[in-house]
Amino acid sequence: MERQEIKAKLKEILSLTDADSGLLEGELDEGLRLREDCGFSSVGMLYTVIGIEEMFGIRFDSVGLGSFVTVGDVVDFIGEKTK
Amino acid sequence: MPETNNSKSGEKNGAKPKKAPVLSFGYLLYDLIRISAAPGLIIFRPKRIYAGKKPDFRGGMLIVSNHIGFSDPIDLMMLIPERRLRFVCMKEFWASRTSAFWFRSFLTIPVDRENFGMDSFRQITDRLGEGCAVAMFPEGHIDTEGNPIGGFKSGMVLMALKAGVPVLPVLLTERKKPFGRVKAVFGEPIDLAAFCGERPSFAKINEAASYIIEKEKALAEYAGH
Repeated sequence: MERQEIKAKLKEILSLTDADSGLLEGELDEGLRLREDCGFSSVGMLYTVIGIEEMFGIRFDSVGLGSFVTVGDVVDFIGEKTK
Repeated sequence: MPETNNSKSGEKNGAKPKKAPVLSFGYLLYDLIRISAAPGLIIFRPKRIYAGKKPDFRGGMLIVSNHIGFSDPIDLMMLIPERRLRFVCMKEFWASRTSAFWFRSFLTIPVDRENFGMDSFRQITDRLGEGCAVAMFPEGHIDTEGNPIGGFKSGMVLMALKAGVPVLPVLLTERKKPFGRVKAVFGEPIDLAAFCGERPSFAKINEAASYIIEKEKALAEYAGH
């Protein structure tokens, strides 16, 4: 799956969470830090991961949700899983 | 946009989930202790109070309770002696091989509170889907100062929704005397699928968590608080 496509879908999911909506305008910045910049709570992260699993048909097994620091980390992970 | 599991029996994609076995070697120690502790129920059994209709204790359910002391899991086990309760506990309790053995024998589900993973989430939803009763203290810590109930983590809502099971709120009260009986108030099971709808937003998940807190707080009046 193309990186741009992943980012567009991810943005769709993030827009439904508690992420700061101002940061989601325009193209999704891969450098955004999930907790510090987006203001994600741990439950927000869990919600996002469930959304990603359903939308992309992948599983986040054997990985802690705290391992993802930036949006880019999540995009990388989805890219790897959807290869 | 997690999809709500609307099936009453925890079905996934139309497929019936495997049911937890009624008897298993894995339950041996848990059941032995349950049986040997049974006489203690005569004296120490918590007093059950129902805020509404008596809940149906059969099938998968997520039991959520306030956390006021170390004996809360034992009190909950005595409250619903007919069920084997799977407690969600912090993974630190599983640190040594000995403690891991005991906590495994007591069918607990370890979670990493610092770096929560989907493995734990799936363990919880799988057990619920298999028809087990999973108990948790969503405040995440013991409150010894008598603060009002609050700060329930919304993760419990996601767990119940994904497993398609109701949430059963329970309010435990403090013992008045060292060997006195605890009073416990049961609320009515909450059907979150009906509350949240097909694909709930994150705001709706938080709203559901607040709703559960309100229901939990409302139980205090039945306990004579």
